[in-house]
Amino acid sequence: MTAAMQVLVVDDELAMRESIAAWLRQDGYQVAKAAGGAEALQLMAQEVFDLALVDIKMPGMDGLELLRRIKSEHPDTLVIIITAYGSIESSVEAMKAGASDYLLKPFDPEQLMLLLQKMSGQRALLRENLALRQRLADGECPGFGDIVGRSPAMLAVFGRIEEVAETEAPVLITGETGTGKELVARAIHSRGPRAFGPFVAINCGAQAEGLLESELFGHERGAFTGAVKARRGRLEMADGGALFLDEVGEISAKMQVALLRVLEDKQFQRVGGSQNLSSDFRLICATHRDLSQLISQGRFRQDFYYRINVLAIHIPPLRERLEDIIPLSEHFLDKFARETGKPRAHLEDKACQALCSYPWPGNVRELRNVIERAVLLAPGDKIERRQLTFLSPQAAEEASPLTLAEMELNHIRRVLQAQDWNVSQAASVLGIDRGTLSRKMKKAGLRAP
Amino acid sequence: MDQQADNQPGAESAPLVEVVPLGRVNQTAAAVAAANLQAIFGLNAAVSEPWPEPTYALVPTRGQYDAGPILLALAQGGPGPPLRLGLTGRDLCLPFLSYVFGEAQVEGRAAVVSLHRLRDAAQGGTVPRALMLERLAKIALHEIAHVLGLVHCRAPGCLMNFSSSLAGLDRLRLGLCPACNSRLAWQRRRLLGQASRAPAGPGPPGP
Repeated sequence: MTAAMQVLVVDDELAMRESIAAWLRQDGYQVAKAAGGAEALQLMAQEVFDLALVDIKMPGMDGLELLRRIKSEHPDTLVIIITAYGSIESSVEAMKAGASDYLLKPFDPEQLMLLLQKMSGQRALLRENLALRQRLADGECPGFGDIVGRSPAMLAVFGRIEEVAETEAPVLITGETGTGKELVARAIHSRGPRAFGPFVAINCGAQAEGLLESELFGHERGAFTGAVKARRGRLEMADGGALFLDEVGEISAKMQVALLRVLEDKQFQRVGGSQNLSSDFRLICATHRDLSQLISQGRFRQDFYYRINVLAIHIPPLRERLEDIIPLSEHFLDKFARETGKPRAHLEDKACQALCSYPWPGNVRELRNVIERAVLLAPGDKIERRQLTFLSPQAAEEASPLTLAEMELNHIRRVLQAQDWNVSQAASVLGIDRGTLSRKMKKAGLRAP
Repeated sequence: MDQQADNQPGAESAPLVEVVPLGRVNQTAAAVAAANLQAIFGLNAAVSEPWPEPTYALVPTRGQYDAGPILLALAQGGPGPPLRLGLTGRDLCLPFLSYVFGEAQVEGRAAVVSLHRLRDAAQGGTVPRALMLERLAKIALHEIAHVLGLVHCRAPGCLMNFSSSLAGLDRLRLGLCPACNSRLAWQRRRLLGQASRAPAGPGPPGP
């Protein structure tokens, strides 16, 4: 069940205010009351409300004026205007000013219940919309079409995505930077039972601790300097959907404890707040770090690790799945052609060989950038070797130092790729006999795509 | 009748719920409400002497009775069992709602049920007495569950579904879904614990 709607009842008549509030509580809503416009705005500066039920006739600031102030200062709060028979004109005016609906007193219980259900649906849409806006603001692409792979390793990842998507258990996605951990997280979400709920992502490595706390938990007005109004955190925004904590290995011990408490108690408070809030989300975490190593170094809590690592998915680096490089490149060429409106470019053979010979320390993200640059630089619809600009091999080695065995394996892969996976020819280039190469391939699980 | 497995009926000696007829109310109706509270929720319930008609709650312009003041009178009507359920033949409303079958104080002490509309049939006329009493039992249980802290539930058929029409009420089972049932069992244990710490004597007559 998703968190209850926060409703503010604004009416100058005590009996009306109290009875509406009591009735809404029976339906599981969190309710606050205000006797007038000024008190309502004061409460709204401290708390976030999903819905305000506002009586149109009040002394001082009337319902219409309050509606306008709410729509200007808290545009995400839905407003229902309550009016008496004979004030239809005001109701029309209220609808024009942004009210979601209006009710004529006394209203039919069924009518009120249907309206509240409608508002609940609108709130879900609003939240999803907010999450989408956040994703677009972060420059992210919705969907999971960028996960491309034919290698046995990636086929195994796809299978694992299907398996874990059906459950509600926390997932930990591991893999080097640029391997597409967030795309995998989105794929899990979009194939699961919460697909229609929001997917809320946050990069924990990119935030200072205080900021991360406020981003995750939200804050009340005045919680710290600059907190001029109350704000929902990502935990609340993820209600009914999924929360994706990227670079979870960068979270401080203090924040790990705070998050562990949320995962166990299913309750939390905004920074500077005292009200217990709940949010129903699926947790998906990702890291490029070896968390077990961080645990042994005392830099990551074991209890938190066990909580987030119920199901695990490892995405292999691109250098371990050379057969995915060309399909991925073709996918990006299609994508950039669509985006730029330029004719779809094609890779020349030497360009393909170069792509397959490079160790890709930045993984799929780096490949995407290389292809994008090449598409922009290529004068026609052919991409030649010289239009591919990589990080220098030396920089690549420094970014990801390899063992001797890994270097040997990479070299074998490159030669096989260059020889179209002809084992005899590759063995000849490598200066070893065919049988030796076959044994090495079998041991490393190498086979033609 | 849908017996709730977790709720063992009437093991306690002192009543936990006082069923209070407000004015002239059929005695059988009061006995049915008490019996169902005991059988379905395992809450020992006793019918008290009638209290006066709730004339203080009359809304003259509407010819109906505001449930709010009645709840207050029931809650503040002196000591007695921890929960109090009023039964009235009058038509209940709230200041903002055109009618209610019943009303309750969530996590409070009092609930009230109106028999006024329960005889009505969908196509006009009246329904058999047995169906009227079943409706009464459903509303009494629903409202007392609110007093015990339960809120509306959307599980199909659960007695804690919101229902503002008699047809909707007739579709509900005389029992709770597993989730509501376990919440009720927990609240009942809490209530029994409280009652054993502060045994309640019989209450004085109401207002």
